[in-house]
Amino acid sequence: MSMSSTRRQFLARSGAAMAGLAGGVDLLASTASAVELANQADAGDPSLQQPIRPRVAIARDEILTRGRLTQHRDLLVKMLNASIQRVADTPTATEAWRLLFKPSDRVGIKVNTLGLSTQPAVVDAIVAGLRLADVPAENVVIWDRFDVELAQAGFTLNKSGRGVQCRGTDGDAAGSGYQATIESSGEIGSSFSRIVAEQVDALICVPVLKDHNLAGASLGMKNFYGAIHNPNKYHDHNCDPYIVDVVSHRFIRPKWKLTVCDATRAQYHAGPARHPGFAWPLGGLIVGTDFVAADAVATDLLESQRKTKGLKSLDEDKRPTKYIATAGARGLGVCDLRKIERIEV
Amino acid sequence: MTPTPLASLFVDPDADPSPNRRDVLRWCVACGAAGAVSHLPIEMTLGQDVVEPAILPGPKLEGVARHKALFWEELEEGKIKCVLCPRECEVADVERGYCGVRENRGGAYQSLVYGAVCSANIDPIEKKPLFHYLPGTPAFSIATAGCNIECKFCQNWKISQYRPEQVPSTLVSPDRLVSNCASRDCPTIAYTYSEPVIFYEYMHDTAALARQRGIGSVMISNGYIQEKPLRQLCTHLTGVKIDFKAFSERFYADTCAGELKPVLKTLETLKEIGIWFELVILIIPTLNDDPKEIKEMSEWVVKHLGPDVPMHFTRFHPTYRITNLPRTPVATIERCRKLALDAGVRYVYVGNVPMHPGENTYCHNCNHELIRRVGFRIASNKMVNGKCPKCKTSIPGVWSQESALAFKPRAAASQAGPG
Ligand code: SF4
Repeated sequence: MSMSSTRRQFLARSGAAMAGLAGGVDLLASTASAVELANQADAGDPSLQQPIRPRVAIARDEILTRGRLTQHRDLLVKMLNASIQRVADTPTATEAWRLLFKPSDRVGIKVNTLGLSTQPAVVDAIVAGLRLADVPAENVVIWDRFDVELAQAGFTLNKSGRGVQCRGTDGDAAGSGYQATIESSGEIGSSFSRIVAEQVDALICVPVLKDHNLAGASLGMKNFYGAIHNPNKYHDHNCDPYIVDVVSHRFIRPKWKLTVCDATRAQYHAGPARHPGFAWPLGGLIVGTDFVAADAVATDLLESQRKTKGLKSLDEDKRPTKYIATAGARGLGVCDLRKIERIEV
Repeated sequence: MTPTPLASLFVDPDADPSPNRRDVLRWCVACGAAGAVSHLPIEMTLGQDVVEPAILPGPKLEGVARHKALFWEELEEGKIKCVLCPRECEVADVERGYCGVRENRGGAYQSLVYGAVCSANIDPIEKKPLFHYLPGTPAFSIATAGCNIECKFCQNWKISQYRPEQVPSTLVSPDRLVSNCASRDCPTIAYTYSEPVIFYEYMHDTAALARQRGIGSVMISNGYIQEKPLRQLCTHLTGVKIDFKAFSERFYADTCAGELKPVLKTLETLKEIGIWFELVILIIPTLNDDPKEIKEMSEWVVKHLGPDVPMHFTRFHPTYRITNLPRTPVATIERCRKLALDAGVRYVYVGNVPMHPGENTYCHNCNHELIRRVGFRIASNKMVNGKCPKCKTSIPGVWSQESALAFKPRAAASQAGPG
């Protein structure tokens, strides 16, 4: 399979989950980091043998903090496309979207509607990007745990089979949205949402940049607690290593192509519930294909904000985001900020 | 004390422990028990405490059944500390505790399962198992979703390890539950199958109402509850069964996501309160079947709870997250029984081995057979007014509804007045 070096570099930057596109690397068996995979993919090409740093784009525009976010749909689309283009290092945004998604993909957009929620306008921008990759609307499902929480967050439920679908795992007959079997992954034993287990080939994670009273920060990886039936069992030890156990599972890790962290209205303390006293109108998006790197960068922003506000660091507050280091140590992606290319868009 | 002889074993240790329907019917006919059980489905004589189809028609519950929770404290920034069970979850707004059925809503703690009944059956009380509590009577048995520990061998995991929204449930008020129980001539309500501690408020209110209407209440629990709520609850309960998982902290941590120490505390509190209770120990090969551990556990029971608390050693079968271990050999269960008897426990039973002589009750004084059981059925009961007909020794237990309802908890030692 021939690949341009740009494409190869992008795939390498995109983290372990992307390696499947690069020629069938066994993702389930692999514990190699994105960097190692990049080196494997590019062995023999001296110009590409340096470890390639995953890119994480931070797009900000102060305008987003004004008024309702729905008023700024076009701006959000522009910011997201510019971000993904920079992350993928492609001539156009369309090419970036097409590198990540095939027209035949069934794409699950995992939002976060517990407490401070993902903004529907951000998801609209993602859907617009998927259309650039010719993914049919019917192949896209916006999902979270509950119908009721999706509706409260402003999403319009759609289970019609026409257009972009939107539904909660717990939306129909009680329990029917989860697989009947228990899956083991590391220390967890859980039933997974049928949506993530059976109904999608690709995942886009759209968390909110927010503080979490136990995990430290609720970001992309933590967002997938919403894919299992028993997240309440996995809050000890700052959710470590349970978060990593969840996202390592074959239903998630190989499918997870993109993180778009909604930082339009963030929260730097007292999360995950909405707490106006700690609201942080950042007007931004954090975009990456290495999900560990995206979480690492988002946490760094959160820590900076806490410092600015005179709050203890998450470590000092006994809520260290240990799980991000664990994910890095297990080769799910890059957690060392020095090894991540941070791009301001 | 002479241990009960187990010479006449007739169960093949390697055979399937469950008798088939024909075996049970044949036995019932042979011993004249068929008539006594004919009003109940035969399935109720088989298996352990598994969930049967619901018998309580009613409005299907959409979502959750919210109710003000008891036993919690406010923390800073809208957080809550739940002090119902030893886990003491600290729960932020919009989050739930470990059990998944108690939620912080804007700084107030709520139960999400008040009246959310997901299982309801009329079981023989022996199925709980309670062998010294109104033998041969039916118990109206109910559960909601949720549990405050996670046993990797849980046979009811499809309700205990799920959140309320994930388990089909029917909304049943305490009043309706008690009325149903009365109309079916059940002397007892059993809170069972999952973990009743986590539906504390519902159990508490139902048990209080039931008692007023002449119906007893038994809690079938893991004992993972704090002292204060336990004492308050026992003002309404009439009996308790505790699943005593093992006698090692390691087993509790690795296999149940819990701790042993709080369970020991619960057992001592129950003893102090004076309520009737029995212990069940599910023996899992290689995990908690070490003879030394069984001996120490039995000695602890005799020392701290007294010799009259019955112990039931029951067979494990592979399920949920432990599917790689075999069923417990009957010989292992028999060894556990002998160890407990040798330690001085007077009433020790084998469980999940139907028609085993170790299911029967023998007088601790003269060894006379008092109650013969087959599975969960009473084949014969020779006791007279709670006494052995041969030597007239009083047998510990609750043998009449009057005595069940007459129970009053003893005050805590620290609360008791001088003398
Ligand atoms: S009852 Fe539930 S919420 Fe309360 S401490 Fe126990 S597990 Fe936690």
